[in-house]
Amino acid sequence: MAEKFLTDSEIKHARTMHKTKVHALQLAVAVALLGSWQLLADHKILDAFFYGRPSGVMHQLGVWIQHGTSIGSIWLNAWVTFYEATYGFFAGVILGIIFGVFLARNPTAAEIFAPYIKVSNSIPRVVLGSIFVLWLGLGSVSKVALAFVLVFFPVFFNAFQGTREADHKLIANARLLGASPRQITMKIIFPSALSWITASMHVSFGFALIGAIVGEFLGAQHGLGLLIATAQGNFNPNGVYAAMLLIAVMALTAEWLITKLENRLLNWRPTQVSGSEL
Amino acid sequence: MNRGTPVKLENVSKRFRTPKNGWYEALAGLNFEVEAGQFVALVGPTGCGKSTALTLLAGLEQPSIGLVTVNGKEVSDIDTSTGFVFQHDATFPWMNVYNNIAAGPKFRGVKDYDQSVRSWISKVGLTGFEANYPHQLSGGMKKRVALAQALINEPSLLLMDEPFSALDVQTRAIMTDELVSIWETTGSTVVFVTHDLEEAIALADRVIVLTAGPAQVKADFKINLPRPRKARDIRFTKEFLDIYQEVWSVLRDEVDIAYQRQLIAPGKEK
Repeated sequence: MAEKFLTDSEIKHARTMHKTKVHALQLAVAVALLGSWQLLADHKILDAFFYGRPSGVMHQLGVWIQHGTSIGSIWLNAWVTFYEATYGFFAGVILGIIFGVFLARNPTAAEIFAPYIKVSNSIPRVVLGSIFVLWLGLGSVSKVALAFVLVFFPVFFNAFQGTREADHKLIANARLLGASPRQITMKIIFPSALSWITASMHVSFGFALIGAIVGEFLGAQHGLGLLIATAQGNFNPNGVYAAMLLIAVMALTAEWLITKLENRLLNWRPTQVSGSEL
Repeated sequence: MNRGTPVKLENVSKRFRTPKNGWYEALAGLNFEVEAGQFVALVGPTGCGKSTALTLLAGLEQPSIGLVTVNGKEVSDIDTSTGFVFQHDATFPWMNVYNNIAAGPKFRGVKDYDQSVRSWISKVGLTGFEANYPHQLSGGMKKRVALAQALINEPSLLLMDEPFSALDVQTRAIMTDELVSIWETTGSTVVFVTHDLEEAIALADRVIVLTAGPAQVKADFKINLPRPRKARDIRFTKEFLDIYQEVWSVLRDEVDIAYQRQLIAPGKEK
């Protein structure tokens, strides 16, 4: 039986201990995985020609950073992919929200457009990449277009659903308090749909990156997608992994920024019960 | 402000489509009037259509037959000269207390609302909680926000739909008291829906008993208890208990009818 309450510093200490333990074990998992890969490749159990090896990936990154790639500096290529994805992301998010909220607020318009939206959503959108390269050329615009198409639909559907699920009581209350339809859309509907919208933003930055990279596979002058395609053509698995690593860093940074934005926009929500983070 | 009788329902019927393609009749030929500055409580058994009458007065719904007028004007759309306090929480979760109460003036394009917002915050006893969001407030505090939110627009008619039914008994008694003292300073006309007879008598000048749905006026009682009232204490006076007995004897039959019906047709409640 406990004799007295735990002090703040005791609680803090226990928390720090727990965190340190988790971090140490996470590091151990990484070391075990990468280490066994390296060992297997070094002892010729895994064929490094096809599977690459961690040291090779680091070497490849070093070469790219010091000497650049066959298609220009690594930073230029990373930047091109990043801005293609980002442009497509923002265009998709903004238009997705506008169309989603508009159609949910205008049931007749929603009824008219419903079959068209269903059809265009059922097309595997990646194939549009080929069309965009034909229409818009090998430059960045075709990649932005593909990223946009991939982002638009999830955001659109979430904004639509979020608007539909806005509490009717709150809308009635706002109307009685004197809100115009425009004020209702901006001050009531939009904030209540916001948690739906930010939820879709988490997945859609990933989609934007897919759009940019697939677009670059299909034909480009710069970008990490082209770098991957080139490495593949040269039987250079380490090059593929190195580019993948850069893309992962990009995706994680974007995810972190979106979470920050979400917490800022939704600071009125009760704080979530903290649990394991996944 | 007096542009005719504040509230008048003439032969008002309202029916709704049920999910099974039938009709549900909430009101059938309801008639009543309310004088300016009067506090009227509508009581009746569960599901009798009390709340429907309020939504018609607010213009949230239109009557199927009959005429609803507020201040001599037919109610055909949402009427922003009425204030409405909902049964369930209808404060805006993304606005803090200050902005929730300021919502009406802001929507209406009123400038310089700061002073009246602050004075309402203090009137409903929320000073110090201006920056709190609704989820950080207790049920009673949310009701205070809702009350200030409606009253800051100085409505000529205040409609309240079982506003305290979700509160615990003690908070409810306190809120009833405070509502009386706030209302006595504003003097607006109030229609208050409740199924709690005690609450109705403690608050109102007049209690209208409705029949089991579809609602019609069954009886109409004047409550001649002195004002200013202390709602919490008045419940134990002899006058109060006499009125209570009188009204309850009328209401009881309707409650029985409504209860019997529920047993026969479960899930028919609106």
